[in-house]
Amino acid sequence: MGWPWVNLRKLLRVARWEISNTAGTLDRRSVLLGVAALALVGSTAVAGVAGVGTTPNDGLYRVGVTESSPFHTPVDRATELEPVSPSDDRATLRVVDTDPTDRSARVVPPQTQKAQAALSAFGDAVRRHNTQLMNREANQSAAFPVRVTVQYVVQSDTGVSVDTGGDGDDDSNNPSDGATTDAATPADDTVSVGTATPAVTQSGDRTTADGQTGGDDQTPRRTTTAAEGGGLFGDGDDGAGSLFTGQATGSPAEIAPPFPFGSLILAFLFLVPMNFIVQAYGSTILNERIDRRGELLLVAPLSALDIVAGKTLPYLAALGVTTVGVTLAVDGGVLSVLAVFPVALVYLGATFLGAMFARSFKELTFVTVTITVFVTTYVFVPAIFTTIIPVALISPLTLVVRDLQTGGVATTLGEYLFSTGPFYVASGMLFLLGAGIYREEDMFTQRRVPAKLLDALDAQLSGRLSVLLLSAALIPFVFVAELLGIAVLVTFPEELTIPVLLLQVAVVEEVAKSLPLYAAFQRDRFERSYAAAVVLGVLSGVGFFLGEKATAIAQVVGLDNLPLGEAALAPAGLGPATTLGLLAAPLALHVTASAVAAIGATRTWRQYLLTLGLAIGLHFAYDIAVVVVLLE
Amino acid sequence: MSNFEFLRRGARRVVAGREIRSLLSEKTIVLAIVIQLFVAGFSSFLVVGLVSLYSPDDSQAGLVDTAVAGDDTDDLTRAVQQTPGLGVQQYTSREAARGAFERDEVDAALLAAGGDEGRIAVTVLVPDSNIQTTLVVTQVRTALRTYEQTERAQRGDQLTRATLDPPPRSASNNYFGFTYTVLVPLLLFLPVFIGGSITVDSLTEEIDRGTLELLRVAPVTLTEIVEGKLLAAAAITPIQAVVWMTLLEFNGTPIANLPWLVLLVAGATVVVIVLGVTLAIATPDRRVAQTLYSLLTLGLFGMTALSPLSPINAAARLAIDTPSPASYVTSVAAAVVAVVLLVGVRSVVPWERVLGE
Repeated sequence: MGWPWVNLRKLLRVARWEISNTAGTLDRRSVLLGVAALALVGSTAVAGVAGVGTTPNDGLYRVGVTESSPFHTPVDRATELEPVSPSDDRATLRVVDTDPTDRSARVVPPQTQKAQAALSAFGDAVRRHNTQLMNREANQSAAFPVRVTVQYVVQSDTGVSVDTGGDGDDDSNNPSDGATTDAATPADDTVSVGTATPAVTQSGDRTTADGQTGGDDQTPRRTTTAAEGGGLFGDGDDGAGSLFTGQATGSPAEIAPPFPFGSLILAFLFLVPMNFIVQAYGSTILNERIDRRGELLLVAPLSALDIVAGKTLPYLAALGVTTVGVTLAVDGGVLSVLAVFPVALVYLGATFLGAMFARSFKELTFVTVTITVFVTTYVFVPAIFTTIIPVALISPLTLVVRDLQTGGVATTLGEYLFSTGPFYVASGMLFLLGAGIYREEDMFTQRRVPAKLLDALDAQLSGRLSVLLLSAALIPFVFVAELLGIAVLVTFPEELTIPVLLLQVAVVEEVAKSLPLYAAFQRDRFERSYAAAVVLGVLSGVGFFLGEKATAIAQVVGLDNLPLGEAALAPAGLGPATTLGLLAAPLALHVTASAVAAIGATRTWRQYLLTLGLAIGLHFAYDIAVVVVLLE
Repeated sequence: MSNFEFLRRGARRVVAGREIRSLLSEKTIVLAIVIQLFVAGFSSFLVVGLVSLYSPDDSQAGLVDTAVAGDDTDDLTRAVQQTPGLGVQQYTSREAARGAFERDEVDAALLAAGGDEGRIAVTVLVPDSNIQTTLVVTQVRTALRTYEQTERAQRGDQLTRATLDPPPRSASNNYFGFTYTVLVPLLLFLPVFIGGSITVDSLTEEIDRGTLELLRVAPVTLTEIVEGKLLAAAAITPIQAVVWMTLLEFNGTPIANLPWLVLLVAGATVVVIVLGVTLAIATPDRRVAQTLYSLLTLGLFGMTALSPLSPINAAARLAIDTPSPASYVTSVAAAVVAVVLLVGVRSVVPWERVLGE
């Protein structure tokens, strides 16, 4: 890709210039306003975390209940519910308590979905109230006669691992015990058991899980991302509270199914401050492109990479400082910083490329928002699948959660590389793509974004072998796109999911393999002949195949076993394909399909679309065939 | 009412039209809608995912076979039997039940033993292999709660307080509210935030490129230009709000009080846009303007969200049709503040001088 090596001295000079330039734009009024704004955001965040003030679901349902009824108290205490008179026709749900002296009441059967939801919230309120009543009992063993330990055990015989619990369910302010009850597991060296202290906290207090791994398993392969307590979406009733928790030991009321929304909070904690920095970064890049301001730097004896790296360095440093700051705030360690750093790199890289593509600040704003949404989703979605570990490892946030859990699962170097490798590669690619068009004809012209994308791809190509490299280097983007597809597709009806997923995979992969070729042909980098098209198509297919295989090997090396990852991310034959014979099929597929697509790429956009469609069809048919064969 | 006159005057409309056309030609608005669609799709993915995870009644999973073993398991067995969606398999020993679970003959196992202080210790084995784990845990928890009630009742003589009988299980899940408390506010207020951001961009860019000076040659005043931009941004957001709410309605989520929601969004939009315009003019650089805009909007929005006049809570309660007086007041307050700001900005800020510098 032929870039002169970065000159450190020049780079630093650009960085210094960037800093002084930025400082120059700040006047005292802006600084004061900024400090005030930060204070405002900070105090809001503190108040929000402390559970002060209105929550989104305050008074969502009205429950008709007489004041004399003992059921009035739980309704009154639940923020989600608002007690009204039973005769009030605005009541969502009505409680008929004919005898207020006994402990039971009848509920008018709900007719609507909303009333059903109100009933559910009412049930939670009553149970919470009961727990509070029992908490005040002197005899706690009679009040909570059942203690439950949940063990998450893999049932098949391919290797067993166990989940450790999450943390306290703050719906029950149960002071009864903080004792860790280690489950009485029979000596079974394939099971590692984690029990979590029922970190019993006052409402709104956040605690981190104290998951321990026991047993004899030397390499626990299990992670839990449930680390945050507290009710972001609820006031801690058992449903909403369980969003954040994976309680493993306690009374039945304390047991919460694992659902790691804690990672979402982490994603926001780390990503929101980044957002501000990359916004400024995008501005400074785009600024250079307005009124040909960057021309002075371009004509200076600096390489594009010197300029780009120099301009990026201050922002990278700022991101590093923020990341370390947030890590210290959440009490994380070195691993957290190391895990979040590549995410910051991708953020910067994507913003850089976006700022190189954007034609105006307005466009840049949308690009920034898009990047934010996609990066957040990408690091957050895998955590939803925590129970289908180890796919969750594709998100570096999983490593952060592990780091935050004292005594949690240790992360191996292989796992770290598996988790963050794609981010390093992707950010490198983004910077290279952007730096390739850091030149006059792209910076100062109002070319359309697709044209610039083609320029950027073309700028990465030199000889024929570079096609192979570029194709392989695009793998991380392909995986990101496929993963996001999976996230969205879950909403589809089940029978449609698999075909649509396979179609999406085929589209993404074929586009990734052939778009660089189209770019190269359109920019007349290669001779527009069918022979050249076939050769380049084959190279691109081989490159993609090798990249995909390298990823698969990384999976196998980094993680002992990854059944679902293979199924989800590489249906094109990666499944149980371990023998050489089975390897040949996907290679043949990639090579043939991209050669087909390449033929049209030598011609017009329409002809490219036509052959690309053919290639996608081929790929799709192959995938369907593989899935059908595998299912039988 | 003379202050509203400017909304009808031609020059502003021309500027507003130019602004909207520019958005359309850059196709940025398309990107914005794609993002919102993605956010909405993603959120409903969460909701749908949660619904299928947490409501045993409409699960496709069928019966969860549960092994029960241990000491004195009659009550436990009964509790499991009473729980819809759970089936019981009794085993003579805990080891046998564990073995059956590990061989995947049952989906969950409850192993009871005597615990400390006369408690019963129940070890629950649940599969750690798929997303059904959550469903299994949820159902087993229901059974264990029933069991806890029974055991508690048997120890009633040692307790001084009596618990309330919980109401019958609801067919619903807790995530009905999620749509209204998260998805609706997200769809309503994300465009508001973006709208203000566009205004900042649009103005800083014109100032930066010097095109604002060019416009002065045209037969429009600077005030008209600024107001035109304001109008364009303020018009887009309520339209988006209506579209999103209609789509939700179409998708089976009833949305009540749409006019009030639109009033709320329109008011919030104007507030945010006036903030954006002010920052774009008052600060020298887009970086500064955008950063300040994001921080201030975030901070103000967060503050109001915690106040009794929370726009998030108001949007949720209005949409779910349980509005409180405060919900209406929030909508009206947003509109009033918007009008005050518009009038204030128009009469207080010397636009010609500020921009003419």
